[in-house]
Amino acid sequence: MATIIRVRKLHKQFQVLVRRAGLGGALVNLVKPRYQVVRAVNDVSFDLQAGELVGYLGPNGAGKSTTIKVLTGLLVPTSGEVVIGGLVPWQARERYVRGIGVVFGNRTTLWWDLPVIDSLELLQPMYDIPRERFRSNLAEFTRLLDLEPFLNTPVRSLSLGQRMRADLCAALMHEPALLFLDEPTIGLDVVAKEHIRQFILHINRARGVTVLLTTHDLSDVERLCERVLILDRGQLLYDGSLSSLNHRFESFWTLKVDFEEEYGDVALPGLEPPARTGLQAVYRFDHRSVPSAELIARLLERFRIADLEVRRPPLEETIRRIYQEKLLEREDADKRA
Amino acid sequence: MRRTISLYLRFISIQLRSQMQFRASFWLDVFTTGLLNFSYFVSTYLVLERIGNIAGWSIAELAFLYGMIEVSFGTMDMIFSGFDPDVFSRFIRLGALDQVLLRPVNVLAQIFGSAFVLRRIGRITQGAVVLGFAFAHLGVHWTPLKLLYLPVVMASQVAAMGALFMAGSTLSFWTLQRVEAINVVTYGGVEVMSYPSTIYPRWLRGFFTYLIPFVFMNYYPALFFLDKPDPLGMPGFAPFLAPLAAGLMLFVTLRFWRFGLSRYQSTGT
Repeated sequence: MATIIRVRKLHKQFQVLVRRAGLGGALVNLVKPRYQVVRAVNDVSFDLQAGELVGYLGPNGAGKSTTIKVLTGLLVPTSGEVVIGGLVPWQARERYVRGIGVVFGNRTTLWWDLPVIDSLELLQPMYDIPRERFRSNLAEFTRLLDLEPFLNTPVRSLSLGQRMRADLCAALMHEPALLFLDEPTIGLDVVAKEHIRQFILHINRARGVTVLLTTHDLSDVERLCERVLILDRGQLLYDGSLSSLNHRFESFWTLKVDFEEEYGDVALPGLEPPARTGLQAVYRFDHRSVPSAELIARLLERFRIADLEVRRPPLEETIRRIYQEKLLEREDADKRA
Repeated sequence: MRRTISLYLRFISIQLRSQMQFRASFWLDVFTTGLLNFSYFVSTYLVLERIGNIAGWSIAELAFLYGMIEVSFGTMDMIFSGFDPDVFSRFIRLGALDQVLLRPVNVLAQIFGSAFVLRRIGRITQGAVVLGFAFAHLGVHWTPLKLLYLPVVMASQVAAMGALFMAGSTLSFWTLQRVEAINVVTYGGVEVMSYPSTIYPRWLRGFFTYLIPFVFMNYYPALFFLDKPDPLGMPGFAPFLAPLAAGLMLFVTLRFWRFGLSRYQSTGT
């Protein structure tokens, strides 16, 4: 597969004015400003292959948006190398942006006062899209995103979910090979989220569009991405598949059991005693050493059981563990050494 | 270039369409701003009628100075709407510049196309009426050179004032707010150009000659059009410096603009 994004040793620092409190402080700020250097992105390197759909995760302030701004050419990095589709984003801006699509969840690229259809039609001359392609793309996206009901509505009157669908359509009309999505499901309800996720999967699978998706809704990632990049305080903590992330860093699973009758001692050898309430017991176990099927078999041997529920920890928890323990940082350091 | 211009025209036509959505309020707006500006001229006229002249300039001659600047300023304010420092600083704060940078179209063309306040035709019409009054009373001795040079002068005025708008907008790459100081120069400069330069103190005249070359935009060309002698003793080509000075202002401003934009892209504000 061809490498579409190549990022090496990317650094981005900002000088931030340190604000002093109060009126006197404000005056001092004017006369003698003091700056602090913030390393928003610190030594980040990764590659994306054509056709991948990758999640870019991290808590607020981790440097996700800064990275996306550098990759889309809006920001010039302090140092480092970025080559995307053979171009450096912040050089040859006009040529570069022809080949990418960008959607920011929190703002629109459409013309606020124009009906959706007029906004979309403006893209045809802007990107020099051949008329035929334009018409067939418009028809396809209108169908997939269900735009028909609000094509003639001004953008300012759209609901958030409608606007996001219109924005996705706008970002893809010129058939970019690469799509950047910054929080595409932010603020949407479950149904709208699912609609958008299905669409993203479709254009990735059917059209082969490479997608880099930042989000802090981890259900987006679980639904869409095989590979994730995890960023914290400007540094890349993890780059790999979601399944191996789970495998390596997931904390204990839990098994909730409803017994049919009262039992005195329900502890299992090799496991910590379960938390009990009435007829219910909750076991915590490490699924890597004890598969849940084995555990259930052992319980069924001994007790009469009315109901069972296995619960995997949500991805949030796994990622929180990585942040807290910085396990990966150490591992990476070992690997390099 | 042809593509850029045709896109610019499309952006403008969108602007016009949305402004004309509310036709009645649009025309009312045009009419009131025109009338408001005209009442300013009338009140000045009434005062002048008593005094007779200012620094040797008759009422009709003063109307020429004033009318020229009104037409040019109105036109500039319309064409450079997107670069009005108030408008542009808001544009930056809203993050709209990021959208501009993500489109494969020249940045200047997009910002020129982002606003076009058609209502300014109220002020332009008012200026044209005053200018018509001036011509009717002056009996200008027209020559082919004068006829050719008049539109050049007006275009130069538009460019020179537009350059100040752009410079003010460029400052908001740093400040994110509009900068009052530049507005003082722009609007103060417009006032200065509307009257004979000789009425101003030396230092102010110096400022608008050597730093911001506004005296070459209206006062000197007016001396030429009205065949008046130059009391300030500038070289004879001074009335013809307007396009040169305007071009220079635009050139310097564009360099400054480019520098500001590159700084925006390295600070991420």
